[in-house]
Amino acid sequence: MASDSILDFAAQLSHAPAVPVVEERELRLVVFRLDHEEYAVPIQLVREVVRVADVTRVPHAPAHIRGVMNLRGRILPIVEIRTRLGLSRAEPTPTSRVVVVEVAGRTVGLLVDAVGQVARIGERLVAAPPEEVRAAGVEAVTGVARVGTRLLVLLDLERVLASAPSTAPSAASQP
Amino acid sequence: MTGPDHPFAALLAEYVAECLPLAEEVVEQSLTLERAWRDGQQADDLFRPLKGTLHTIKGNSAMMGLTGLQTLAHRLEDLWGVLADEPASRDAGAALFVRGTGLLADLVRATASGPPPEGAATDYLEEVGAFLVSDRGAREAAREERRSPDRRTADRRNPTASGEIGADGAVATIRVDSRRLDALLESFGEAMIAHAGLGEAMRQLNVRRRSTAEMAQLERAMLGLDRTLKRLEGALMETRLLPIATVFSRFTRLVRDVAHSEGKQVRLEVAGGETRLDKTVIDRVGEPLVHLITNAVIHGIERPDERLARGKAAEAVITLRAVQRSDRVILTVTDDGRGLDPEGILRKARAIGQAPAVETPSLAEIYALAFLPGLSTSEQVSHLSGRGVGLDVVANSIRALSGNLSVGSEPGRGTTFSLRLPLTVAVLRSLLVEVSCERYALPLADVAETVRVHPEALHQVARQGMMTWRGEVIPVMDGGLLLGGGAAQSRRYCVVLRSAARHRGLLVDSLLGHHEVVVKALDPSLGRPPAVAAATILGDGRVACILDTGRLADGWVEPVATAAS
Repeated sequence: MASDSILDFAAQLSHAPAVPVVEERELRLVVFRLDHEEYAVPIQLVREVVRVADVTRVPHAPAHIRGVMNLRGRILPIVEIRTRLGLSRAEPTPTSRVVVVEVAGRTVGLLVDAVGQVARIGERLVAAPPEEVRAAGVEAVTGVARVGTRLLVLLDLERVLASAPSTAPSAASQP
Repeated sequence: MTGPDHPFAALLAEYVAECLPLAEEVVEQSLTLERAWRDGQQADDLFRPLKGTLHTIKGNSAMMGLTGLQTLAHRLEDLWGVLADEPASRDAGAALFVRGTGLLADLVRATASGPPPEGAATDYLEEVGAFLVSDRGAREAAREERRSPDRRTADRRNPTASGEIGADGAVATIRVDSRRLDALLESFGEAMIAHAGLGEAMRQLNVRRRSTAEMAQLERAMLGLDRTLKRLEGALMETRLLPIATVFSRFTRLVRDVAHSEGKQVRLEVAGGETRLDKTVIDRVGEPLVHLITNAVIHGIERPDERLARGKAAEAVITLRAVQRSDRVILTVTDDGRGLDPEGILRKARAIGQAPAVETPSLAEIYALAFLPGLSTSEQVSHLSGRGVGLDVVANSIRALSGNLSVGSEPGRGTTFSLRLPLTVAVLRSLLVEVSCERYALPLADVAETVRVHPEALHQVARQGMMTWRGEVIPVMDGGLLLGGGAAQSRRYCVVLRSAARHRGLLVDSLLGHHEVVVKALDPSLGRPPAVAAATILGDGRVACILDTGRLADGWVEPVATAAS
């Protein structure tokens, strides 16, 4: 019976040597590219990565919103993360992807130039962002991580998405 | 809603669902009674059944361990007994009874978010105690009455089962969690979108002229699907419709309380309570109505002496009316107060730089200004504003329901606010248009007509486009400029939008026909773009914005300033 083999397996597990405890916390990051730089966000926030479908512009939406896209029947706001980080706006290319993230209870898509593999890096590899970055006012950068010859820029998505303007009185908005 | 951490959260929700309508009914009835008694009527047919209802509430509260509510209902029963046996006590007792039923309804309502705190009604209970003790004989009688409660009435009003048995023994009605209905509606929306996708694919096939037997078969199947979906929509909407009376019932007391604290005499008259609306609309229309009614009592209605001096009855009347017109429901709040002050509104609008474009605006156009943010909170026209809530907020919440708000007034005679609401919020009959290669959906209910633009009919008057339409000169707006889609080319069509104030034209490139679209709310990340009400997914899978035609028709024309602010 199958249940026997499961019990055997369980017995094996209980006798297996304990997994050595990892001293250091490991970060799992989804890495994407904007221009020639690599950026990373925690994988816990990423729901999925999808191809760029037609993005519909929404008249008079906040400047950092490129528009909305149909994601399997759901209307997904697409954030122009390039301009949020001080880069120039760009049209999607064949490698462009939408990184669907859930931040502060909201699901939005980040339009990026390309998506790389998931990176696993030790926490100690993360350094504070260089002074120049902070001086440039990009508060969304929480740190940089050097992985071999690559440099990953770690982003705080809540800050990226915090829309400074449009604080219209919203007493009438529905929950 | 109920806190998820409460162990009896679901039970409490059920308790509220069952008892709140009963409690509100008691409030309603006791107010009517108070009036009837004041006019010297007996009104026993109203008074008698109250006891059974109170008893049911008491029983249900006891079952839930809500001792505070149980005690309150119990004391109200006692009070009822005194009022029943001692008509002379009614002068003093009626107000006490009304207040108690109001408190009862409040506590039941509050229970939705957890059991009310102990002693929430202490003061009131003491007051009732004092009243009862003042007439010992009456109190004994009340006790006697309580020992033989009207079981039949109580049972009828205590539907513990989740269904009612029909004549043939089968379950005739069932109670369903409204979230299940919402999920059903969402799935139906997806089916509608898939259907639109199929239709689009078929059009493409037809364009390639592959008319074969298979194609004909496909078309027949598609027609069948069309019809089935239509029926399904109708049936689904039907399950979601509730009488507006469920909202209206709480206003009698609101009017009474506000009028009382303002030292005014106001009577609320309600008509069309049986008119039915989608549950979502019902849930969300209460709040705006509260503001409008409160405003009417506080600012619209004069003090009794002032009214008498003007030759009006001391008691003012606010009329709340619901009526269905095709696929819209129109709610009106009418008062017979002093009316709006057009001069004051105009002065204030000019002061905040929002004067109307035309030299001599019509009264309707002036009143429409009252919905501008920042205007109704001013002092000069303070009778337009509630306590802290401006009309713009009310108008916004109506727009969020794809409805619109308008106002009419006659100085010295009164004011009427009209809310036009969609019967349902899920599917919108809309006109699809194209402007600068972008597609937009416009609610068909707001479209008066679509006309081909004749360049000679278009004029520029002080940078404002004007057009002659049916012998009337109406302002027109360029769709591309308004929506930021690109500068004015020559647009071929004009969509004439309906508005309470004045018709207004929207110039577009092409008309893509009538479509039933599934309304999807805009994500909060998008802020509240002024020209867009919601979005939808079209047959080709792309998203299109649904324009806020009510707002456009009211003359929203400041895209640059709004985008920058």
